[in-house]
Amino acid sequence: MSAILLIAVPLLAAFISILFKKYAHYILVFVSFASVFALGYMDLGTITVGGFNAPFGIVLILDDYSLIALYIVNTLFFLVAILNCNEFKKVGSIMLVALAGLNGLLLTGDLFNLFVFLEVAGIAAYLITTTNKKPLASFNYLIQGTVGSSLYLLGLILLYAMFGTLNMADMASSIANSGYGAGVTAFPFLLMFIGFGVEAKLLPFNSWTKGILANSNRLTGPMIASVYAAAIGFVFGRLLTNVFVIEDTFLIIVTIILIFSVVAGEAMAYASTKVREILLYSSVAQAALVVVVFMSGFTGWAVYLIIGNAAAKLVLFLITNTATKQLGNDDVETFKGLFVNNKVIGLAFTAVTLSVIGLPMFLGFVTKMNILENMFVSGDYIWPAIILITSVVEGIYFIRLLLNLWYKENDLPEVKFEFVLKYVVVIIAVLIMVFGVYTEPVQDSADNLVAYSYIEGGNL
Amino acid sequence: MTVELLILVALASGILAYFVGRLNKVLGAVVTIVASMFIFIMIGYMMQDINAGTTFNYNAVEYMPDFVTFMVTYLGLFFAILVTFIFAMVSFFNPFFVEKYKYPALYSMLYLFSLAGVLGVFLTDNFMVLFFFFEFIVWSGLFLIPLGKNNKAAISYYAFSTAGSFALLYAIFIMFAQTGSYNLHLGLATVSGTTEGTYVLALLAFAAFAKLGAFPLNVWLPRALGKAPDAITAVFSGGLEKLGAFVAVLALVKLAPIGDIAGTLGGLTEATFLFASQYIVATLGAMTIVFGTLMAIRQDDAKKLLAYSSMSNGGYILVALSLGGTLGLSGGLYHIVAHALASAAAFLAIGAVSRVTGTTKMSELGGMIHKMPVTYMVYLIAIISMAGIPPMGGFISKWLIFQAVIDNGLILIAVAVFFGSIGSFLYVFRPLAALFLGQELPQHRDKAKEAPFFMLLPMLILSGLIVFTGVMPNIFLDFINDVIAELGGTGLLLGDYTITGVNGVLQPTLIASVFGVGVLIAFIIFILLKKSKKVGLMDTYTAGNFIYTEELMHYSLDFYAPLERLYEKHINITKDFYKKLENKVVDFGRMIKYFFFTNKPEITVFWIIVLIGFLLWGEL
Repeated sequence: MSAILLIAVPLLAAFISILFKKYAHYILVFVSFASVFALGYMDLGTITVGGFNAPFGIVLILDDYSLIALYIVNTLFFLVAILNCNEFKKVGSIMLVALAGLNGLLLTGDLFNLFVFLEVAGIAAYLITTTNKKPLASFNYLIQGTVGSSLYLLGLILLYAMFGTLNMADMASSIANSGYGAGVTAFPFLLMFIGFGVEAKLLPFNSWTKGILANSNRLTGPMIASVYAAAIGFVFGRLLTNVFVIEDTFLIIVTIILIFSVVAGEAMAYASTKVREILLYSSVAQAALVVVVFMSGFTGWAVYLIIGNAAAKLVLFLITNTATKQLGNDDVETFKGLFVNNKVIGLAFTAVTLSVIGLPMFLGFVTKMNILENMFVSGDYIWPAIILITSVVEGIYFIRLLLNLWYKENDLPEVKFEFVLKYVVVIIAVLIMVFGVYTEPVQDSADNLVAYSYIEGGNL
Repeated sequence: MTVELLILVALASGILAYFVGRLNKVLGAVVTIVASMFIFIMIGYMMQDINAGTTFNYNAVEYMPDFVTFMVTYLGLFFAILVTFIFAMVSFFNPFFVEKYKYPALYSMLYLFSLAGVLGVFLTDNFMVLFFFFEFIVWSGLFLIPLGKNNKAAISYYAFSTAGSFALLYAIFIMFAQTGSYNLHLGLATVSGTTEGTYVLALLAFAAFAKLGAFPLNVWLPRALGKAPDAITAVFSGGLEKLGAFVAVLALVKLAPIGDIAGTLGGLTEATFLFASQYIVATLGAMTIVFGTLMAIRQDDAKKLLAYSSMSNGGYILVALSLGGTLGLSGGLYHIVAHALASAAAFLAIGAVSRVTGTTKMSELGGMIHKMPVTYMVYLIAIISMAGIPPMGGFISKWLIFQAVIDNGLILIAVAVFFGSIGSFLYVFRPLAALFLGQELPQHRDKAKEAPFFMLLPMLILSGLIVFTGVMPNIFLDFINDVIAELGGTGLLLGDYTITGVNGVLQPTLIASVFGVGVLIAFIIFILLKKSKKVGLMDTYTAGNFIYTEELMHYSLDFYAPLERLYEKHINITKDFYKKLENKVVDFGRMIKYFFFTNKPEITVFWIIVLIGFLLWGEL
């Protein structure tokens, strides 16, 4: 089966669903399930679109890296879709467009094509966030997202003018063979970095996240913080490892941005008293950490960091937004004692939170330890120190949250969680625990992935 | 039984305890008794094996991730036996308390999980395994503490413990970068005496201070110990706190001391030669002693008082270990034993009182001796040991530590050490007088009765051991000599009934006999003389005033007010420091939110322009 179907089918289904508006949400669930299912039948390799060979035409790349990315994003997407299909029937068609855009982002091996999918996925995201009923925040997201993708496009235009190619692998080898110093490409790359930084929630460019995620509902919260974050993380990772040349002043700027994002993200989460704000600021820090790990070259572990975060944020935002809807607001004070009568949900929430903090017995611990170990071996002593210090802060606010949610004597908040939601969060929590203890497959696959993804981004 | 099997047994019985506890709360707690006794006995057997001299590397099977190895050493076994013993003793209290807690089944499970963590930390030669279980204990303890009174204590416990664990982790990775392996002995040996060794020492010392609750990382200890469930307090003080002592041994003894300052402190003879790191740790240890003592004097809550006493005893352990040498090491290790036994017994006694009265505040208690004479005796023996009076174990360890301090010529530290010892007279006898002696308060008169047999049993065993460690210390010191030999030092010179220090020979058995004769004479006088008359609390001379509040008549309220007035303005220094630190983080977070997270996209654009400008600076 050709990987191009992962883009074409959802897009086609989106147009069909407009004709059958009433059934749009069923089509959505079916298509998103089918694309997870179809992934098992995909052949690895490069797909040339329109018969033009590699550097000239658009190529889609399905290697191990993008296959993992597709599995994760499609599965998470399916879960979000099935949990919300009844409540948000209106956005069924848009969700299908989003699926096409996200799959396209993960598959493409062409920098301009990447821009197109970035816009497709972006516009779908703006529309999905309108279900928050906060038009100003969505508008803000629209403006910032557009500024970001325009900067990406501007950077790309400059690169195209310099090297005459849009293919990722070809671009990488052209830059390497051109003999230009890193200073020459720094400017276009900075523009592209900023463009992705907006979507990836890096600090000075991410003011949209507060408006969107702090007012999110059960659809937008998991969608933006989990599905989109994972997809953008994977694409950013491919650019960082295969295309970008980050040196000199550019490296300084990027490092400052990243340190600032991690430190300030954790500090802001610490200073927050609303559950969704805590989660969103923590994901700002986590997103920056993903970029750091990619830049350090530990691709396999960055992938696991993305997986762990996306799974955790899905669970956390689902539970938080379900409770928020029933309780009216998301102050920690209102949430106090939430788990006393919802023990199963509480255990799942606790397990994924402990995993995000990186406590033993959970997947996050394995990931964090290996990242730190690799950093130390490569002689980097600064980042581990920053990561560990911010981890203490992160741990404190998460533990404070957990203890508040578990321990309260009377006046307990009453929240009902439906059956499917319980299933989903428990399964994710159990998986996080299982792979936190049985670490061998994680270890092996992460080490292998490093070897594979260094194959040039364009041609397999 | 192999170590990993024991850990699996502990984990499995923890899960079993959870499910049994779901069906029947008390039965779940009984599982903890059976499991922890079993584990203690198995660890005891290990000691036999290691004494037979067959093999040191009792077990080093590799499985799961290829670095998971376990190893039994004398040092690890010393700690493991002690802590599992405390766990086994305290577990007898669980069935009597568990019903009061919010999540009884969880309590039983986490109790055994912590025990599993303890085994993992002490019985491994691999740093990664050590860290794994270190953190494992942190998160098990984290959910145990709030079962008592409040959440805040658990949060500060988490904050300091994790800061400590991460310091340990950083040190582990520094060693890993040097050696390429997580082997504990190899790592410490490799960095010994190098520049990396300095960092490793500082980080490990930080971890040890955080776990022991030593100054300046002491804020969590009284909070957590004061608020945790009664049994957990005993486990923390007697057992889990000793993780810090274990790390301190790694840092101060197994790592060669660094920072030669012989030149700057000329005039010292070879025998009194210490390194800078040792001075620093000893000084901080001495400050811990003084600080803990002064704070303990102030407390009204008996549990908090004992918590501060635990802190000050942690200071003794640090001072002793930092001085090193035969006396310092054996004094420090023996103090670990003596304090574990005494503080566990004291906390259990207070726990037994709080079970029937519902409070641990001294001003709300009194005259418990009438209803709980055995508990009173247990507490009495425990505090005699804590104060370092013969014939209890605490005397032996303090005798050794005092000699080590004096022998090294450390006058200021000696002052602190003696101050702590005298201060402990002041504070440990106060709960005795306020809580057990005096007149019975009316509100507890009917409810109070002696603890049931299965609560008295562990307390009596602990008391027996406290006396035994004071009368026949040589049995324990023999094992400590093995530990010291393994660490590369020379052990104490022990006779059949004598201990030879630098300043003379101690005959603990003789002292105990003399003491026993004295007690006997006193007892005979007590029997022969007229019995005292019992009177009501209001039956007193009040110079013509009526008494309305009995608490004011309580003679231990504000007992040391004149002394407290000397330093009461400065008691919050450390607390304030951490509060300010926290506020700084919050301020920083709020500031960033204010500057970056607005509803104005133009601000984002502004920062983008700034960044581009920074890149192009000097190019245009």
